[in-house]
Amino acid sequence: MATDRFVEALEASGARAWSIYTTSFRRLSLGTKDRESGNPHAPFSVSEGLAAAYKVVWADGRVSRGSLERRQIELEVDDALRQARSAAIDDPDGAFVPEPSEIPDVAIHAPETAAIAAGEVEPIAERLAFIRKVVVERGLRTWSGSISASEGLGRIVTSTGMDASGKGTTFGWSAVLDGELGAGRALRVPESRELFKSRVFRIVDTVLKLREPAASLAGGLQRVLLHPDVVEEYVLGTLFSNLDGATVAHAEGAFRKEQFGSGDPVLREDLGLTIDPWKPLGPGSYRFSTEGVPSKPTTLIDRGRLVTPILDLKYGRRLGMAPTAHALSMEAVAFTAASEVPYEEAEREAVALILSVLGVHTQDTASGDFSLSAPQAWSRKGGRVKATISGNLFALLRDPGTTLVRFEDETTPGLLVTCRIDPR
Amino acid sequence: MIDELDRRTDLASDLTRRARAAGVGLIWRAQARRTSRVLVQSGRAEETGVSTASGHGVQVVTPEGYTALGSRDDFDPGAAANLLDRVIGIAAHGPDLGLTRVPAASSEALRARDVPEGLEAFERLDLEAARNRLIDLEREIASRVEGVTLRLAFGTDLDGWRVVRDDGTDVTFAMPRCTMRMTASNEGSGDRHSVGASVSGPLPDLPWNDATVAKFLERALAAARLATRLPDAPNHPSGSFPILMDYALAKGLAHEAFGHASEADGFRSSILAKDGKFRAGDRVGPAHVSVIDEPVRGDHAFQPFSANGVRRRRATIVDHGHLKDALTDAWTSASAGTSLTGAERAESFRSAPLPRMTNIRIEVDAPIPAPGAFEDYGPEEVRELLASAGIFRRHPEVVFLSGYSGGQVNTVTGDFVFNCKSIYRLGHSGATLYKPAIFSGSMFGALGAIREAFGPLALDAIGTCGKWGQSVPSSGGSHWFVFLEPEPSVRLGGR
Repeated sequence: MATDRFVEALEASGARAWSIYTTSFRRLSLGTKDRESGNPHAPFSVSEGLAAAYKVVWADGRVSRGSLERRQIELEVDDALRQARSAAIDDPDGAFVPEPSEIPDVAIHAPETAAIAAGEVEPIAERLAFIRKVVVERGLRTWSGSISASEGLGRIVTSTGMDASGKGTTFGWSAVLDGELGAGRALRVPESRELFKSRVFRIVDTVLKLREPAASLAGGLQRVLLHPDVVEEYVLGTLFSNLDGATVAHAEGAFRKEQFGSGDPVLREDLGLTIDPWKPLGPGSYRFSTEGVPSKPTTLIDRGRLVTPILDLKYGRRLGMAPTAHALSMEAVAFTAASEVPYEEAEREAVALILSVLGVHTQDTASGDFSLSAPQAWSRKGGRVKATISGNLFALLRDPGTTLVRFEDETTPGLLVTCRIDPR
Repeated sequence: MIDELDRRTDLASDLTRRARAAGVGLIWRAQARRTSRVLVQSGRAEETGVSTASGHGVQVVTPEGYTALGSRDDFDPGAAANLLDRVIGIAAHGPDLGLTRVPAASSEALRARDVPEGLEAFERLDLEAARNRLIDLEREIASRVEGVTLRLAFGTDLDGWRVVRDDGTDVTFAMPRCTMRMTASNEGSGDRHSVGASVSGPLPDLPWNDATVAKFLERALAAARLATRLPDAPNHPSGSFPILMDYALAKGLAHEAFGHASEADGFRSSILAKDGKFRAGDRVGPAHVSVIDEPVRGDHAFQPFSANGVRRRRATIVDHGHLKDALTDAWTSASAGTSLTGAERAESFRSAPLPRMTNIRIEVDAPIPAPGAFEDYGPEEVRELLASAGIFRRHPEVVFLSGYSGGQVNTVTGDFVFNCKSIYRLGHSGATLYKPAIFSGSMFGALGAIREAFGPLALDAIGTCGKWGQSVPSSGGSHWFVFLEPEPSVRLGGR
């Protein structure tokens, strides 16, 4: 195994404790830019790699954490250890390697995906042909996207006696139509043809709707429906940024460490947020972390109350809490409320459906203030609108009027909120 | 580290011979990269690390015109030969998959080298000393601004490339870049706000360079003070206003509103192209405004050659109001109908090179002089500058956007957004602080609204540009301050 030489060197180094997580992978991908598949900017490509993440607690108690490339793992072990030693710091909270514990048996590998990663192109050809056909038949101008498959082998070895390994796969596709809106999924196994086709048809219909004449829209404080894509990108993205263990420990975000477990609600009292890394073949499922922590379902927010930040070993120790699951995919995340309404009901109440937003990464996640451009929005009166939406996310998540909305085939709900909308 | 690339001549030759024997064209890209990072918070190091990444990518073009790319993170000759064979094999799937046949690339063979002096400093960097220096700087900032939580980071990145093509091209270059950044978050029980500041330079002496540290402290202290004031600031109303922006925001405007739309890989859908051709000659802005992208030696985003081994050239995207040059590569310059500017960049040896910006700026003819240094200008000094230029005779109030915090564009629709760190309303009565809000609109409307500029060019606004899954350093700027007349298609968000 690639790790063995490094493990031998670690054992000989006199280090107090260590862990090393190695991953090897192979990947096949094909891009499409403006209807051109496999052009020089989005080529058909294959890649192979080997990398590792390590932690070393040296004899003097100092800690090194970092990554290694193939060359260091296979050929330059001594140099790599010297490099690691040069970066050691006093980090008492980080000087911990977990004891062996039971690793959950979670299905994360699909042979059909592995076959594609190894060069079986039929499933890619079939999906590509379908998108092309629909684009032509429905009169779309252009599309861009990608299809990819990868297979990886991960192995964790620790000084405490843990030695676990497992294979995983990922299959992903995306398609952005007319440069306007996109659909796509990252999965462990290709979704069924029927699901794939229905997703493509749905996004095509939405993009074609955006071609209808622009509608007028009254600005001001209005009921606005955020599409699940917007909820994932902005709402959940902001929550996860503020739930990050380092952010909480360093008092850099919206949530303070004393709020966790205090019983005082910070959001509306029926809202919940959980991570489930055990869904069979779920894109966000995993068996153990790069530190050797077994995965387990985690509740982050329960009835509006903060339960735990998202914690690795270091920040778990610093905050006096157990390490938690990590959200590898939004499909592992459940954002819930006491009740939800179907899309059709919410559509009648909202002045506009916000299909996508620009500028998410420019927002100050700590304040929760948002001011986002929504160039792809749909007016209840029919017709496209372009607008800016603004408000404060945390205020929205405390607002009794905020409603979770169920969209077909979406794991994340939409959100019906009252916020400011300014057409342009 | 660059010797890692210099030692691969035999491998490059073997792969070139193998590709020729198979009847395919070859572009071979090797990369060796070394990064280090020190993160300090609350008087202690939270992260310190050094990482290296090396490997190569082989891109083939078959006689039928199909291209494919393969990558592997070592330089083992046997594995490299197998990889090349595999890439040739998958390119053969072109007809089955309906892949595009690529046009013949139009670039001349080039043998060149651009490796700056002094790169051994990257190998000699004392991380312990860097940690202690950051802790000192954090202490100094904290002693001068109460009520903030600070995070200081120092990063170095030595990114070396070698590009060999089957036409004899053999180009080696290194891109050294270092940054020192600070983020300040206000403490207290109210809303939290974070504000950042940064400086950059080509060598890892940043934390010990007196001039750089002085600039860093000025910027960091201003950012930290702003973080303490933002929670009590009101929200600015939304709408169209006369706007003054600093050079970092003007860089954002150039980058988001014009740079991305001029990248030739998007010309089958970009708003600046028609039927795949750049709309060179079209008027897109006033005659006193130009948008220019070019490599600036020592700059954060400097790249002397493209990732396909072409010399990077200046591109005057907008020349006094008219479109002129696009950001092109050897695959697109002919079809785009513009000159080859060698703009392709790649994040990694695994990536397909894409036309990208390097250092982009907005230039305005006859800028109004501004005395002193940029750092001398707080909102009150800016207000005085506008008053002396007679701006308040045209507009009783001007909205001043300060500090860039990222942006985004849709090149198909021409919609762009970017965000600032703070907003000041400037008028006869003084300067009032407001919370930041997004600035959005149509690229043509924004460029057309530019009226005046103040001060000399400042081109050190740095950032990271994301495109098609790849992130590369970006930079640029403009005159210290740029003034935009109210324009209905350009709006400030607000609440």
